[in-house]
Amino acid sequence: MNNKIITIISHEYITRIKSKGFIIGTLLGPLFIILLIVIPGLVAYLSADSTSKKIAIVDKTNFGIGQKLVSLDTSKYYLSDKSEDELRRQVLAGESDGFVVVDENVINTGEALVFTSGGGGIGFITSLENNLGDIVKQKQLKDAGATDDILKLIDKPFKIKNLKVTERGEQKDYTEVYAAIGYFLGFVIYFLMFAYGSLVSRGVIEEKANRIIEVIASSAKPFEIMMGKVIGIGLVGLTQVAVWIILGFAAITIAGTIFSGSISPEQIVELQNQTAMPQSSGSMLNIAGLEIPSISPWLIIGFVYYFLIGYFIYATLFAAIGSAVDQEQDAAQLQTPVTLPIIIPILLVFNVISNPDSTLAVILSLIPFFTPILMTVRIAATQVPLWQILASIVLTIGTFFLCLKIAARIYRVGILMYGKKPTFRDLFKWMRIAK
Amino acid sequence: MEILEVKNVTKRFGNYAAANNVSFTVESGQIFGLLGPNGAGKTTLIRMINNILIPDEGEIYIFGEKLNSDLQNNIGYLPEERGLYKKLKVMEQIIYFARLKGMSRAAAIERARFWLNKLGASGWENKKIQELSKGMQQKIQFITTILHSPDLIILDEPFSGFDPINTELVKNILLELRAEGKTIILSTHVMSQVEELCDSICMINKGKLVLNGKVSDIKAGYGRNHLVIEFDGQDEFINLLNDVEILNRTNSRLELKLLNHSINTNNIFKTVSEFATVTRFDLSLPTMHEIFIDTVANQKGDKNEQ
Repeated sequence: MNNKIITIISHEYITRIKSKGFIIGTLLGPLFIILLIVIPGLVAYLSADSTSKKIAIVDKTNFGIGQKLVSLDTSKYYLSDKSEDELRRQVLAGESDGFVVVDENVINTGEALVFTSGGGGIGFITSLENNLGDIVKQKQLKDAGATDDILKLIDKPFKIKNLKVTERGEQKDYTEVYAAIGYFLGFVIYFLMFAYGSLVSRGVIEEKANRIIEVIASSAKPFEIMMGKVIGIGLVGLTQVAVWIILGFAAITIAGTIFSGSISPEQIVELQNQTAMPQSSGSMLNIAGLEIPSISPWLIIGFVYYFLIGYFIYATLFAAIGSAVDQEQDAAQLQTPVTLPIIIPILLVFNVISNPDSTLAVILSLIPFFTPILMTVRIAATQVPLWQILASIVLTIGTFFLCLKIAARIYRVGILMYGKKPTFRDLFKWMRIAK
Repeated sequence: MEILEVKNVTKRFGNYAAANNVSFTVESGQIFGLLGPNGAGKTTLIRMINNILIPDEGEIYIFGEKLNSDLQNNIGYLPEERGLYKKLKVMEQIIYFARLKGMSRAAAIERARFWLNKLGASGWENKKIQELSKGMQQKIQFITTILHSPDLIILDEPFSGFDPINTELVKNILLELRAEGKTIILSTHVMSQVEELCDSICMINKGKLVLNGKVSDIKAGYGRNHLVIEFDGQDEFINLLNDVEILNRTNSRLELKLLNHSINTNNIFKTVSEFATVTRFDLSLPTMHEIFIDTVANQKGDKNEQ
């Protein structure tokens, strides 16, 4: 590497790293991603529980079922001895949200009728179903002759504790957690490839639109200009990832020390089982340092490698597209063939996560344009055989050089072409011109 | 000594030859005018001399060496369309372009201060480019062109965007640079600047070299064919003059181009004096303006050339 390319790299790196956008993005990025993952869980949790609806319970049995139900949640249920017609009138008039009649029939058939004004979400119906169901089920079991011991047995849920056999003995397995981590890392790579790829494309367009490129081209070779930009921006991305990894470890350590004092492991398991989205929220708790499954350094190395190679493959293509157009608006159409192979693997992630060792997953993760996201997912979710890792490295590096060659040719011609909005046919023509 | 040699250079874009077997040389220590109508292929030629474009055929030699990217450090180029990073500060912008030309940061800062001061732009160091007026940006662009003290300076319309005062300022800097032994290639459409500054010129039309040489030689080649007559009286004599083209005509002034070298100007004087009193009778060399128009007009006939 000569001085010119180093000058360009350091210019691209320093001007961007000093920008407000980078600093804000680096600090708020993780917050944004955490919110993205936590909010759906939080919403599900809140909407399941926090209904303000009040249901009248008309208990026509002598077993105190209504009383039991009210004592479960006095904010939701209240006993009523009004007639059904009167209750109907109240619901119609909006004075009551609904009512349920509990009689012998309910216990015999295991079905109850709930009358409401309609709407209001399924949250409260579900909790009513659960609450009433539990009480009725107990009554049914008791009627069938079940003792308290049996009832307790039935209440106790069944659990699987997954152990992974390794050379160092048996370890607790965290398949779900690792799958979630894989999904998370895959998503981060997707996001970074997109964000930094379009940064490259925008940078190239800026230099072309402002006619800066002609001045730079009179000082350095087009290949140096393109690579300088791609590497410089790549280093910005790497810096951001490094900051995030450090912040992440710091957060885990801090959270670990705070939480480990106050919550026992049993409580954590309890928490995991209760949450509406056991996969993601469970793993979030783990990520927060309560019970950290060992994250292999290979996963981090793999993540950094696949992020970098993915970035480099796509950034060169983004640079080529940027060089071809005069303004950003024109880039969107030409970019589709570049953005599509970034989006496709994200759609396949769930498939790969649920069967990370399947032939389909292996093939998909070895397609170089999909490798950055899907191989990272697989490395996190399963034990990927060494040959597949090596194959993916060879294939991605080969693909990178191919893309680089194509992109450099388009770039060399494109930066000096103004006026007509180019088509793909034009790009092919340029590739041939720039021997 | 020749600083630039363009040798049989051809550059095609599809079927169109933007440069068609062009050859000329530029002597060191000169201001050399690169002229031609719009779309003649000047920019293509300038880009090839800057090693931005590579000729399909022919070679370019600079400082006696075949053009390569290492030589770019000794060339300064001011493109017609200016290009600066809007969001950079003036000093950052100057340093970046200077470093791309191989200067160290410290040297760039030192020279930048010198030139900012010389162009009346000191104190702009920390302003962003987008805060500057067009003329101010133009000054910064000019500074970035000459900061690394290149031996060959290529300026495409360097005075556009400047007011008369700044035009004078930059003109004087160009003359100073020439006195230091720098070579300047000046592309412009303003012929008065060519008269004022250029030692030699070449003219391109439709990708071909149509005129080349010292300004004085070219003018001499046309001969003293530019006649200005000022008179007092009737102007009916005009109809009696043969082999002349009227360039300009007012009540008491007539500007003629003599179409035939063998015309005896004494006879013209006689004819005029029969109708009016001659107050001025001035036979001189043609202006670059006339030569430009004349050369382009002559080319229009050659349809078979393309």
